[in-house]
Amino acid sequence: MTAPGATHNSIKGWLITIVVLSQTLLAAGLLVTGILYTHRQMLSTLDNHIQAHAMSVAALVRYTEAANGALYFDDSLVPLSVDPSRPDWYAVWTEHSGLLTRSANWPAGFEIPRDGPDHWSFRWANTGYRGLRLFRVPVLDREEGDAFHPEVLTVVYASPTARLDQQVQHSGIYIAVSSLLLLAVTIPLALWGIRRGLLPLQELAERAALVSTQAWELRLPEEVQQVKELRPLTESMTTMLDRLRHSFDQQREFLGNSAHELKTPVAVLKSTLQSLLQRPRTLDEYRAGIEHSLEDLERLDQLLQWILRLARAEQWARGALRRDLETIDVTATCEDAIERIRHLADSRTTTVRLSKNGPVPFRADPEDLQLIWINLLENAVRYSPPGGSIDVAVSWGNSGGAQITFEDHGSGIDPAHLPHVFERFYRGDPSRNRATGGFGLGLAIVKALVEAYGGMITADSTPGKGTRMTVVLPASR
Amino acid sequence: MRVLVIEDEPRLAENVARSLRESAGYAVDIAHDGQEGLFMAESNDYDAVLLDLMLPQMGGLQLLRRMRRAGQRAPVLVVTVRDEKESVVALLNAGADDYLTKPFDLGELLARTKALIRRGKGHPSPVLAVGDLELNTVDRSVRRGGRPIGLTAMEYRVLEYLAHRPKAVVSKTELLEHLYDYNWEKFSNVIEVYISGLRRKLDDGSARQLIHTLRGQGYILQD
Repeated sequence: MTAPGATHNSIKGWLITIVVLSQTLLAAGLLVTGILYTHRQMLSTLDNHIQAHAMSVAALVRYTEAANGALYFDDSLVPLSVDPSRPDWYAVWTEHSGLLTRSANWPAGFEIPRDGPDHWSFRWANTGYRGLRLFRVPVLDREEGDAFHPEVLTVVYASPTARLDQQVQHSGIYIAVSSLLLLAVTIPLALWGIRRGLLPLQELAERAALVSTQAWELRLPEEVQQVKELRPLTESMTTMLDRLRHSFDQQREFLGNSAHELKTPVAVLKSTLQSLLQRPRTLDEYRAGIEHSLEDLERLDQLLQWILRLARAEQWARGALRRDLETIDVTATCEDAIERIRHLADSRTTTVRLSKNGPVPFRADPEDLQLIWINLLENAVRYSPPGGSIDVAVSWGNSGGAQITFEDHGSGIDPAHLPHVFERFYRGDPSRNRATGGFGLGLAIVKALVEAYGGMITADSTPGKGTRMTVVLPASR
Repeated sequence: MRVLVIEDEPRLAENVARSLRESAGYAVDIAHDGQEGLFMAESNDYDAVLLDLMLPQMGGLQLLRRMRRAGQRAPVLVVTVRDEKESVVALLNAGADDYLTKPFDLGELLARTKALIRRGKGHPSPVLAVGDLELNTVDRSVRRGGRPIGLTAMEYRVLEYLAHRPKAVVSKTELLEHLYDYNWEKFSNVIEVYISGLRRKLDDGSARQLIHTLRGQGYILQD
């Protein structure tokens, strides 16, 4: 059914094959059934005729006037053949004296089968015949009071089936021709129907092909939307497109933000190198220029690292990454994180106090949790005045999961900036962040990671008093 | 010429300033945030201002609007990371004269600054002519009657400033203001030294004197 170059597994091809096959099968079945039925009917009619002829032949057997009960056959009254154009055969035997008579055309050497049904078919001299054996047929020409023992007859009558065969053949041809005529009408009709029925699918495919990153909307004509069978497909396509668009927009925004942020460090590096080349310099000037360039590159490298880290966290938060996680103790990861920023805290004479409540189990990668805590701690240390303190508390939240709070007593966050602190590259005050080496990515990474674990993070702050970051992790399943 | 660079990235500010000083011979002041930038722009008469848009304390756009509202006429070249049409339009509408996107080319920054200064003083051509004196601001060469004249860096700067304002009386104070940045002690008698050096080199062998002194007022460059 598949044309060369056409796609395999085509629904249309499949349907057409099925329709053509089933219609052909139907026609063939009709033909066979018709032939068999006609044959049976006509054979039964023929059998009736043969029976009637045989009985007529039997009726021609008469008693002679002699008292011994001898029989004779009155061949002047033999009926015409069943098929007048083809002579029938007949023979009559009596029980006591054997063959009484037989037709002139009775073939020499023809053996009558002993067993089998009364009616039987056979071939003789390349011609088909239908025969009938009648046993123990009483002689009808009998009078009351006849003394002799009544005679019974065996009658065999056979008739050629040529006319029957011809009739069956004719009706077969008739059925076949009419079936073909019907097929010639129904198959194109079915094909048209299939093509028509599959039109919405084709339309859908064409519309879907128009969807691109510039035009996300799947515009479907009314007749496609109304097809019941296509509805689950169109609905899931629409949902999928929405999700794709969202994720694509996020990626694009991320890319835009990142490129934007990379421009300033690149500008610094470029200007350093260009100003170095503007005129001949002393060896010391070249050395200083190269050192500056290296410092700029270092910063650029750090920014890239942070961008990649955020990209990974956000990708994971969208469910792109799944890992086998083991149950770990949240409190222990907090203790580790505090240990890891100890050096930074000490350098600013900041103390970190941890209030804990025993082990808090949670399924996570300990590295991820530590990264979250370290970022939050570094932020807290950064915004604490020298000699200040940071309070970390691990406890059970209302929802049955862990709740971890980080509280500093620094300058706090301006209420205008507070809603944006988790946005990537957001800097409330660029100068302060640049002075402290931040890129505005730490909290975005923290948020992405927390959300990747199904948790939530909130920030509340009172200017002049300090900031509290609260992480709520979901109850372990 | 004296230029103000308002840029919070210290290394970038330093590189730009160095380039302007070395390649154009301009006096350059640096401000690291919006507040400081606005204060400096308002308290000095700059020949051009280079302004970064993303600034702490006060954004570049706000600074620009306040500068213009206060009547500051210095041409402003804005340096931005954004190059979308809307932000560029907003910039120019706020009073900027030109813009450059980061990361920029120092050579381009220099050329645009020179062009801004020139146009700010009403000269479309980079070659300034007063009588038979020609001053090429691109390669900083000076000719009189086709004869090349070798000047020291300071002498050139004095002459360039005067050539930008031909036929106008330029006081010693104005010259000091435009030739030195904040970090220099300003002594008016050094100007006299440069002027006499210039006179000797320019008028040597010429019948006509180009630099004239108006006692108690200043100097005029005219034919």
